[in-house]
Amino acid sequence: MITLDYVLRTYHLTKRYKDKVVVHDLNMNIKAGDIYGFLGQNGAGKTTTLRMLMGLIRPSSGEIELFGTGLNGNKNKALERIGAIIEYPGFYLNLSAVDNLGIHRRLMGMGNKECMDEVLTTVGLHDAKHQKVKNYSLGMKQRLGIARALLHRPELLILDEPTNGLDPGGIKEIRQLFLDLAKQRGITIIISSHLLNEIEQVANRVGIIHQGKLLEEIDHETLQKRTRHYLEIKVTDEQRAAYVLEQKLGVTDYFVTEPGILRLYEHLDQSTKINLTLTNNGIGVKEIALSGDNLEDYFLKITGGE
Amino acid sequence: MFRVFHAEIMKLRKTKIYWLVLLGVLPACLVSSMALLPKISSDGTPIDLDMQEMFYHQGMVLSVFGPALFALITGYVVAREYQERTINQLFSYPTSRTIFLIAKLLVVLSLIVITVALPFVFAIGSTLLIRHTLDIPVLWLGMKMNIMICVLSFGAIPTAAALSMVGKSIMPNAVLGVIVSLFAGISEAKHSMSSILFPWLTPYWPVRDLAQDIAQSGPNPYVIPALTILILTFIISLIFCIVYYNRADVHSGT
Ligand SMILES: Nc1ncnc2c1ncn2[C@@H]1O[C@H](COP(=O)(O)OP(=O)(O)OP(=O)(O)O)[C@@H](O)[C@H]1O
Ligand SMILES: [Mg+2]
Repeated sequence: MITLDYVLRTYHLTKRYKDKVVVHDLNMNIKAGDIYGFLGQNGAGKTTTLRMLMGLIRPSSGEIELFGTGLNGNKNKALERIGAIIEYPGFYLNLSAVDNLGIHRRLMGMGNKECMDEVLTTVGLHDAKHQKVKNYSLGMKQRLGIARALLHRPELLILDEPTNGLDPGGIKEIRQLFLDLAKQRGITIIISSHLLNEIEQVANRVGIIHQGKLLEEIDHETLQKRTRHYLEIKVTDEQRAAYVLEQKLGVTDYFVTEPGILRLYEHLDQSTKINLTLTNNGIGVKEIALSGDNLEDYFLKITGGE
Repeated sequence: MFRVFHAEIMKLRKTKIYWLVLLGVLPACLVSSMALLPKISSDGTPIDLDMQEMFYHQGMVLSVFGPALFALITGYVVAREYQERTINQLFSYPTSRTIFLIAKLLVVLSLIVITVALPFVFAIGSTLLIRHTLDIPVLWLGMKMNIMICVLSFGAIPTAAALSMVGKSIMPNAVLGVIVSLFAGISEAKHSMSSILFPWLTPYWPVRDLAQDIAQSGPNPYVIPALTILILTFIISLIFCIVYYNRADVHSGT
């Protein structure tokens, strides 16, 4: 048996609406077993990209390769192996969770009914399974969407902002579910999000999309290094400041980015103490600010806006 | 194909669509049951129950209410996928979009058949109950009329589907339905023969043929052009639906 290196690749994938380029020359590479975080701000083009992967909209140009073959002509074969939530977990509101899954089961051509209870338990909806979806909260719909995506035992999950509407406890639960699915069943998972820390906690690879362009594809460690939080300290004399901090507070993890600016990666919650220590030692402190914690800063950094 | 059709039927469980069907069935039954009341002719002799009149009245009701009802049913079946934001999921199944379209149209056809068949069964049942015999030739006439109503009504359905597909809402169909029913009511009150040229009103043709006491009876001279128009409407809007369903970029919600 040949093992597939890549479950999904795109080549120069582009989507244009009139003369607005929404997705621009995307080359994604997703390996089997990856939890791939697709990270981008609102309007970056995440949903548009995922729609193209599912064949819901036509690329203006470029190619999509799923499970080692081109999408053209093989779309239905590929779709049998994918579970997805695109944009919003839509259900027939007049029907219960079980009935909605029943429709899915039928349309996927599956015989056994037992799998429905199994996935409902997996996502924690077993007790609400006979309730009409009309009465579901967004978080519950999101869970049901994941259940539906899992029902036909796909090899690839494509989930567009799946933690939307979930409470912190739910997010944690679902995150663990994704990790289990990848580890135990070897399912490849693509998760889009606009939240850096959400992706950070689950993805082993991350693709960053900004204004329709894939800025980079990096592994988890690289992302963590790039997005570390730090205190940016503006001082009158950075050399002396560094010396004082080392001596008085024992800091070691810092560096000087430019004259007058010191970037400190520890003691993040002690800016008052740092301020006091520096001032007491005759160093003027102009500003201390925590940064690097959000996507915005990160984008500024890699797009050269810093 | 049957898989998809069955799924479409499942989607309709616990919906108000069946009330819509009743909205056509009840008036049709009501009007035809008036023919069951004992009647006296002008010279004082009782008139026997007339099944042909029953069928005629049923047909009248159906050809006035039917177009609006069937447009609404079609609108619901097509537009709900956009309104309930299930269209992304629907088109993510490994099934051609054309199959989904055909399944939806067949669901509408089934509901049309139910709407037409129930009053027919009611008429037969109540006649049997009162007279204990059936006039078989008249029964055939009624049957023929009802089958033709179903077929002719279905002729305009792809147009309704196209409207709700493009509008992503049931509203265009509601507006169309009201206009068409008003128009149908007016032209049938006048026993107009040319009104069948309008595709939504073509089902009036077999109904009018059952009328017994109107001024101008006899074969409707507009049948050939009316059928031509209806068939063309059917084919063109069906092709439009298939192309639109297959080509359109799919976005759910706003
Ligand atoms: N049908 C369309 N016509 C024109 N522009 C569109 C269309 N669909 C999307 N866009 C534009 O494409 C851009 C990307 O949209 P997309 O929905 O892919 O973003 P996203 O990354 O999923 O954002 P979000 O985090 O808000 O979900 C947006 O600027 C949007 O306005
Ligand atoms: Mg989106």
